[in-house]
Amino acid sequence: MATFDAQQSSWTAADVLHFARRAGFGVTPEVATTLAAQPIGATIDAWVNQSADMTAFNAALAKADVTSTGANQNLPADPAPHPFRLEGWRRQGGIPNAQGHFAWRMQFNPNSFQEKLALFYHQLFATGAEKVDNTAFTVKQIDLFRAMGTAKFGDLLLALSKDPAMLIWLDTILDRVRPGSNDVPNENYAREVMELYSLGVDNGYNQQDITNLAKAISGWTYTPLDVQADPNNPQIQRPNDATFRVNMTYHATGTIQFLGGSFDIGAPTNYGDGCIAAILTQRGTNCAAFLAKRLLTFFVNPNFSPAALTDLQALILAQNFDMKAILKLVFKSAYFFDPSNRYNLYEGPVAWLVRMSRMLCPNLATATIPALPSFPAWRAVAPYLNNSGQNLLDPAGPNGWLEHTGWINSNTARYRGKLAASLAIGETLTGSQMIFPSTVASWFPTAPTSAQAVYDRLAALLQPAPIPAPVQATWLSGLWTSGFTWDNSTATQVKVRELAFLILCSPQAQLH
Amino acid sequence: MSSRRQFLQTLGAGGATVVGLTACGGGGSSSGGGNNGGGNGGGGGTPPPVAPILVLVQIQGGNDWLSMMPPTSGANAGAYQTNRPALSAITANNLTDLGSGVGLNKDCTGFDLIHAAGKIAWMPGVGMSNPNLSHFTSTDYWGEGAAVPDGTGWLGRWGDAAFAATEVLRGITTTSDIMLMNHGRKRDFVAITSSADFNYPTYLRSNTVIADSNFLKSGYSYSLNNPGTVIDVSAAASEGKLFFDAASQFSGLISTRTPSVPYPGDQTYPIANVSTQLANQLKLVAQMIASGIPGQVYTVRLGGFDTHSNQVNDYPRLMRALGGSISAFYNDLASITNTVNGQSLKAQDRVMMVGWSEFGRRIKENNGGTDHGTAILSFALGNMVKGGFYGQGYPDLTHPDSNGNMVYTTDFRSVYATILEKFLGYSDSKGILGATYPTLGFV
Repeated sequence: MATFDAQQSSWTAADVLHFARRAGFGVTPEVATTLAAQPIGATIDAWVNQSADMTAFNAALAKADVTSTGANQNLPADPAPHPFRLEGWRRQGGIPNAQGHFAWRMQFNPNSFQEKLALFYHQLFATGAEKVDNTAFTVKQIDLFRAMGTAKFGDLLLALSKDPAMLIWLDTILDRVRPGSNDVPNENYAREVMELYSLGVDNGYNQQDITNLAKAISGWTYTPLDVQADPNNPQIQRPNDATFRVNMTYHATGTIQFLGGSFDIGAPTNYGDGCIAAILTQRGTNCAAFLAKRLLTFFVNPNFSPAALTDLQALILAQNFDMKAILKLVFKSAYFFDPSNRYNLYEGPVAWLVRMSRMLCPNLATATIPALPSFPAWRAVAPYLNNSGQNLLDPAGPNGWLEHTGWINSNTARYRGKLAASLAIGETLTGSQMIFPSTVASWFPTAPTSAQAVYDRLAALLQPAPIPAPVQATWLSGLWTSGFTWDNSTATQVKVRELAFLILCSPQAQLH
Repeated sequence: MSSRRQFLQTLGAGGATVVGLTACGGGGSSSGGGNNGGGNGGGGGTPPPVAPILVLVQIQGGNDWLSMMPPTSGANAGAYQTNRPALSAITANNLTDLGSGVGLNKDCTGFDLIHAAGKIAWMPGVGMSNPNLSHFTSTDYWGEGAAVPDGTGWLGRWGDAAFAATEVLRGITTTSDIMLMNHGRKRDFVAITSSADFNYPTYLRSNTVIADSNFLKSGYSYSLNNPGTVIDVSAAASEGKLFFDAASQFSGLISTRTPSVPYPGDQTYPIANVSTQLANQLKLVAQMIASGIPGQVYTVRLGGFDTHSNQVNDYPRLMRALGGSISAFYNDLASITNTVNGQSLKAQDRVMMVGWSEFGRRIKENNGGTDHGTAILSFALGNMVKGGFYGQGYPDLTHPDSNGNMVYTTDFRSVYATILEKFLGYSDSKGILGATYPTLGFV
């Protein structure tokens, strides 16, 4: 029997928690109990279909004001705070706003899978905002992942290849070959789309394929839309949007050989599209293996067996690269829920921080518009994401980030600790305003009757891998040195917050 | 293996010499002795310097060193100009003659003066027999530095062999990530990205120290001493403990410091708009050296060299960042003196910088830049460096490989073997690199 054949027929609250950590950013124990009472198949289908009610979230999103433009005068009618406003003329200064916006969406989107999948694709198709130098384009690319995350992988790959941020990031807009000339193409994207985005290094292509694909996509560019002038320097005008086009002045023509096929790249029906599509049609098994490796590493088990890889590759091929179908089958498999696949994966710092914020901070339902919860948090935290190991939206290179143990080093340990302090201990931004607003009382639906009960509740919320009992005992006896009392005193709150901080910093809490 | 004559013929220079130095290496890697400091070395000779400090500079993205040190005469110059009509026109009037038929890009600020002082060893054509044009695979090859890769890096393995358990500050990277090079079987180098608030734990923004360190440390230690049979937390536990151990030593040693010379980005630095990425890291290294932090190897990084496009504008900027930062650091070291084992030692006499990049770039330019290539230009810089040209010569640009890339002339592990044996004084380079590689004579 292949790895993913057996499907899980029922589930427990613990199963739900595992599923939600991997396919989202976690759920509370209370939500897990509710979901565990529902049929596993239909519940996972609904989760992947992203069918949760978005009304409240969309209302809040209008406040967030990601891209406001002068040209279209589509400034939101809602009053401030508009904490994530992006305007084209702000150029790279807008990156922390875009980072904050993405993280905020991860925290509050009721369809958290939409954001988790966008994060997966952002790690896979890593595109750096600093070079793109247009945060509206950067946000547009993440929107593409939200819109097409469960589409067919080949369709997403083609759309990505025409995405304006990607056209800039890997120099496609500078890949210029005049028809009939000996111009040398710029092979940056042609190389990386196969090496990093679809096949893996040296997996089924050679240098000639790279050169010819570069010719096939030469002249690919975009038409700027919604152009906005820098109010401080009006002659500088920058777009907030764009549409793809082929500039025929710089598009090579003729017939090329690519991955064993022959393509007329001057034919109006092609202009290079067929070559991008050929990566899957000509090298489907290679692409399926590549995609299987990335999916296993991100969602299931970074130390996957050869059989698991082969079986997921076969599943991907059988489902014809339909991501929605593939992901449903993976998440519903008994293999996904196998005990050996729990807490075997180090969580990325952004996902880790988002998940913990979902556990400790108020949810959107308790928000008071316009004082939406946590609006200031992510904008304030964004500058620290780089040192925590994941400069969201601005990876250093097109290979993104090393995952699993790649997230963990002495420097990221340092910054996870700092983030944990901000999150759990209630660091203030200015005055008494917490960066991550939270109340200790909200963490405890019922009053705990012992120090151990305090630990158990916090562990249920933060969901670390099991922390050894002697370590728990050391912490609890050190914090509650003279007997346990539960009240609203500052002293009690300090102890509880410090315990949450210790859990967050533990090696066990870095796994999910 | 090329001879000195072949090297000069390739350059087409007819035996010109660099100021005060032999122009290029020769005589074969195992000939012993070298050529008055300019050739390849063998065993014996000069003992390793006292209390050496290595600063390894990663030039990330694939340095187009043909634009940094282009050929200026002979067959190579002809091939260079033919393949690079646009880029060669830019560099043509912007070179300092190094002799031997090559020039140095003047935008590489300060290198001309250090070279004239005889403190730079040039190693053109360093590479490997199995080059890979992927940034990441090639960087891994360079990082592993092993005849048989096992997932660890050559410096990490050296640390495994040479560092005592308590010497957690002997290997330091100023990057926020741990490059494979710094990854050992036992542990990694420690990452120190800023000297401020290098305490654990502290708040995110206020850097207020939290009084929970013993609780945290006990948690890490327990997890390391009692490894789980199912759930493996060793990576997080060991890295967390490494940071604790490093911070506990570091905070008692580090002191603030104002550099003695302006670095790129400083108000008094004479050139505007130069990237501070490398300069900030080297300032931190200088601060650590001045404070007596016992770092013996530091790794730093300057990114941005993946010049597929806009190279005419970007490359001069990159050169100014590379040259300006390194030359400022070199000059800054002159003001630092440490007492080591009772000896008063000048930092400038202890520090050697070595530059490397994952690959060079294609000989033929594209429409605005250059694509991925193969062999690199490595260099070593410092007071103990015997300036000149080393290795088996400048690649023959008239005979590229089947993809139009340079054929390497000197194995990169010869550079590593030289560092280990002749600079760091670690005689068993074979134990680290997995095979014996000839050393070069630049130390």
